[in-house]
Amino acid sequence: MQEEQEFIKKLLNPKTQNQAFKELLLDYQRPLYNHIRNIVLNHDDADDVLQNTFAKVFQYLKNFKGESKLFSWMYRIATNEALTFLNQKAKINGISSEELQNKTIDNLQADVFFDGNEIQLKLQKAIAILPEKQQLVFKMKYFEELKYEEISEILGTSVGALKASYHHAVKKIEAFVTAN
Amino acid sequence: MKAFKLENEPKIESGFKTPDHYFDHLSAKILEQLPKNEPKVISIFQKRRMVIMMVAALLILALMIPIYTSISTNSKELDETTLENYLAYQSNLNQYDLISELETEDITKMQPVSTPEDKVIEDILTTNSDVEQLLFE
Repeated sequence: MQEEQEFIKKLLNPKTQNQAFKELLLDYQRPLYNHIRNIVLNHDDADDVLQNTFAKVFQYLKNFKGESKLFSWMYRIATNEALTFLNQKAKINGISSEELQNKTIDNLQADVFFDGNEIQLKLQKAIAILPEKQQLVFKMKYFEELKYEEISEILGTSVGALKASYHHAVKKIEAFVTAN
Repeated sequence: MKAFKLENEPKIESGFKTPDHYFDHLSAKILEQLPKNEPKVISIFQKRRMVIMMVAALLILALMIPIYTSISTNSKELDETTLENYLAYQSNLNQYDLISELETEDITKMQPVSTPEDKVIEDILTTNSDVEQLLFE
């Protein structure tokens, strides 16, 4: 925690800012990319959203109060950016977010940056039937292997509620895969 | 059909890939796009140009003042009182000279614009007793 305070000071000091931000980028680019990619599903969109996320992080760094960890704060920005992006994309195409997600999953088979087999594709289709919050919890827990405590800090939900959410999500996914 | 259980299955990966070397260039690309935090610099030349423009505008306005005044004083028309005063006190013209200069047409034009109507004359005569007295005499 002390270390993080020092790092935040470096991020805010104009002299050390560039170097510190570079370090932040190198530490977080992969986990944040994976987090965003799991939400938006295709690479080009993930790339856009990731760049926007880092731009926002840089822009709002001076407002960062240190009440939460830098890690959860950045994940929160990434999550919001990804969800906003999806809503806007759906709006532009004149379809609902659910329709957009199903369409994107259908396109995954032809996506050169998706090498999933049948079960991976089926899992994506199963996730698509879940409510938004359950989808997020499942992806963060199962694919990204984040701890409940970390997810709790990012989403602002209690650990107990998250465990229940994940449990429901798993049950629905298992039922979907069994039936299909 | 056997029920599918996530925990019994080997971990299913998301299956998402990235283009080769995507992360190698990403940080440089993002750093390039960040807004620069340097304070805005306004060059001295820019400031001076502003001053020069203002001085030029004032100069043009100042140069226009004599043009404006010369337009207003150079009017060739003489005003009426000056003309009248000149005719009355400065010139050797008398009324006979003036009359000789006028044509008959001009003189008829000079007749009073309205001749008093009969009723008005009658009114004056009835209200004015001195006139009546004079008539009797």
